[in-house]
Amino acid sequence: MNQIVIAPLLVAVVAVVATLALGRRPALQRATSVAGAIVYAASVALLAWRVVLAPDAGPATYQSGGWPAPFGITLVADALSAFMLVLAATVGLWSVAVAVRVLDRENQRVFYHPLFHCMLLGVTGAFLTGDLFNLFVWFEVMLMASYVFVAFYGGAKHTAGAFRYLVPNVVGSAVMLLGIGGLYATVGTLNMADMARRLADPAAYGIDVAPVVGLSAFVLATFALKAGLVPFQFWVPSAYRAAPLPAAAMLAGVTKKVGIYAVIRLYFTVFAAAGLDGATLPGTGVGITGDSPLAFLGPVLLAMAVASIAVGGVGAVGRETVDELLAYSSIGQVGFIALPVALAASAPSGAVRRAAVAAALVYALHHALAKGLLFLSTATVRGATGTTRLSELGGLGQRSPVLSAAFLVGSLSLVGIPPLAGFFGKFLVFEVAARHFATVPTAAAAVPLAAALVGAVLTIVYITRTWIGGFWGTQTPQVGQATVDPVQVGLLAALAAVILAAGVAFDPVYRFATAAAEAALDRGAYVDLVDPAPGTTLLAAGTGAGGALGSSGGAARPDRAGERGAGTENGNRPADGGEGT
Amino acid sequence: MQTTARVVVPIIVLVSVSLLLQGHNHPGGGFIAGVLTAVAFALLYAAYGLDYLDIGVLNRDVESGSGIFEQRTVRAYRRTFLLGLVLAVGSGLAAVALGAPFLAQTYRIVESVPIYHEIELASALAFDLGVYFVVVGALLTVISVVGGE
Repeated sequence: MNQIVIAPLLVAVVAVVATLALGRRPALQRATSVAGAIVYAASVALLAWRVVLAPDAGPATYQSGGWPAPFGITLVADALSAFMLVLAATVGLWSVAVAVRVLDRENQRVFYHPLFHCMLLGVTGAFLTGDLFNLFVWFEVMLMASYVFVAFYGGAKHTAGAFRYLVPNVVGSAVMLLGIGGLYATVGTLNMADMARRLADPAAYGIDVAPVVGLSAFVLATFALKAGLVPFQFWVPSAYRAAPLPAAAMLAGVTKKVGIYAVIRLYFTVFAAAGLDGATLPGTGVGITGDSPLAFLGPVLLAMAVASIAVGGVGAVGRETVDELLAYSSIGQVGFIALPVALAASAPSGAVRRAAVAAALVYALHHALAKGLLFLSTATVRGATGTTRLSELGGLGQRSPVLSAAFLVGSLSLVGIPPLAGFFGKFLVFEVAARHFATVPTAAAAVPLAAALVGAVLTIVYITRTWIGGFWGTQTPQVGQATVDPVQVGLLAALAAVILAAGVAFDPVYRFATAAAEAALDRGAYVDLVDPAPGTTLLAAGTGAGGALGSSGGAARPDRAGERGAGTENGNRPADGGEGT
Repeated sequence: MQTTARVVVPIIVLVSVSLLLQGHNHPGGGFIAGVLTAVAFALLYAAYGLDYLDIGVLNRDVESGSGIFEQRTVRAYRRTFLLGLVLAVGSGLAAVALGAPFLAQTYRIVESVPIYHEIELASALAFDLGVYFVVVGALLTVISVVGGE
C-alpha cells in the first residue's frame, strides 16, 4: 500500500483542522497555513516524482480503508492526476503566501485559512479519486469553500455575487447527482475503472449503452458549469469580483480546471469505452453518430469553447476594472483549453488525440500560472492603491518597476509571447486547430482555427488596454501615494520566474503533459491499474446471473443492485487493517 | 409545548445515542445521531427560548455585549465541532500510523462483560463519534447564531 498517493489529501485535511484550531492565535494560524501549503506542495512533488518523473516511475492506486476496488473508494494517481496536482499545488502555494501579506489580518482570522485548505482538499480529492460518486463529493467540498469565499466580505455586491454563484451551482450539483445516479442504474458500478471495463463489453453485463450518452451529457453540463464555459459563464464575473483576490486566483487558476479535468478523465478514460453502434435517440429515430459518447462530446464542447472564446474576449475588452477584466478573460481562456479537448474528442487517430489532450493540459497549466500571477498582482495593486479601476490607476510602471515587470510577464504569457509558458500553450492549441483544418479542409473545420485567432487578437487588445491604462502614463494620486509591499513583489517576481522557467525549459513540461495525455487515453492501463476484477470474482454467482439475464434483455438491473449489496456484505469486515491490497 | 419537550427530549437523546453506538453494523451512525441530538436541542430552544441553556440548565447569566458568535455557548459548540473534526481525522490517521490504509477499521469482541455478556468494540466508533460531534457542533452553532439574529 503506497501511502504517498493519499499524502496530499491528508496534508490538506490536517491543515484544515490545524488552522481551525489555531483561530485564537492569528500569527501562528497564518504560519501554519503557509507551512501547510508548503508541505502540500512537497507531497505533490514527491507524488509526481514517484508517478511520472523518477526512472522507475509508475502510476499507483490506493484503496482507502482497505476495501477492494469496485466497492471501496479507490484513489488513482496516474500522470494526469499528478499533472493537475502540480498545477494546483503551485498556484495554491503562491495564493496563500500572497493572501497572508495582502489580506486584512482580521479578515484572515475569520476562517480564511481553513477555507483555503478546504478548497485545496476538494480539488485534491477530485483529481485523485477513481470513483464517480466520490468525485461528486469532492466537487461539493470544493464548492462549499468557494461559496464562502465569494460571500467573504459580506457586502451587498458580494452577497449578490455569491447568490449568482450559489444557485446555478446547486442546480448543477443536483443535475450531476441525477446523472451519476442514472449511470449507476445503467452500468451497475460507480468505480470509474470498473465502469470503463463494463462499458467496453456491455453485452456481458447486460448494459443498455444508449442512455449513457444522455446521462454523460448531464454530467458534462455540470462540468461545463464549474469550468465557466458558455452558456454557463454568467456566474463568473460577479463571483471573481466578490471573492478576495488571492482566492479568486485559486478559483480562476485551479477550480475551473477541475471541470476540465473531469471532462477529460470521464470522457476519454471512461465513457470512450462505450460502443454505440446502431443506437438511436429515443423518440426521434435519429441515429447517434459516431462510436461513443466521445463523438457526441466533440461538437457540443466545440460550440461551447468557440462561444466562450468570443464571449470572454469581447467581454474583457470593455471592462473598467482590472479584476473584472481578468474574470472575463478567464472565460475566454477556458474556451482555449476546451477547444483542443473538443478537437481531441473528434480526432481520427490516437496520436492526434494525444497531441490535442496534451495541448489542452499545457494550456491549462499556462493559464493557471499566468492568470494566478495576474490576479495576485492585482491583489497587490489593490492593497497598495486601494483601487483596481483602470481610470484611477496609471504610471504603476514608474512607481514599482518590479511589480509591473511581474504583471507584464503574466500578460505576455497570456498573449503568448516566447519564451514564456503561454507561447507553447497557444502554439500547441493552434497546431491542433490547424491540423484539424488540414485533415478536413471544409469551412466548418476552419471555425476552431478562426475562433482561436480572434481570441488571440482580443487577448492582445485587452491586455494592451490594461497595460496602457494601469502601468503607463502619468501617476494618479492613488498610485503616487501607494506603498508597495516588497515581500509581495518578491513573491510575484518568483512566480513570474516560474512562468519564464516553464517556457525556457519547456521540454520536461511537455513530456509530463504528454505522459498525462497518454494516461488519460490509455483505458486498458487505467483498468489494469485499478483492477476491479478481484472484487467481481468474489461475486462470481451474482455476476454470472447478471450476464445471463443481460443477454435476454435489459432486465438485469435489480440483480446488479443485489450484486453490489452482496459485495458490501461480503467485504463488511476487512480484516485488521493492512490486508487490503 | 414545554410539556411535550420535557417528555420527548430525553427519548430523542436516548435514540440518538443508540443510533450512534450501533451505527457501524446497523442503520444509524454518527451523522444521523448528531442530527437527532441537534433536533433535541432545537426543540428545547423552541420551547424554552434561546437563553434557557444558560439560565435554566447551567444556572448562570447570559453573556451580553460581545457578538453572538463569541458567546460562551456558541464558543462551546464551535469547540465541539473542532473536537469532532480532530477525532474523525485522527481516527483515520491512526490507521495510517499503524501501517494500514487511511480510515481502515478493525473490531474486537470483548467477552464476559456483566449484563451484556459480550460487547463488540469497533474502531469505527471513534470515527462515528467524531462525525457526531462535528454534526452536533455545526448544527447547534448555526441554530443559535441564526436564532439569535
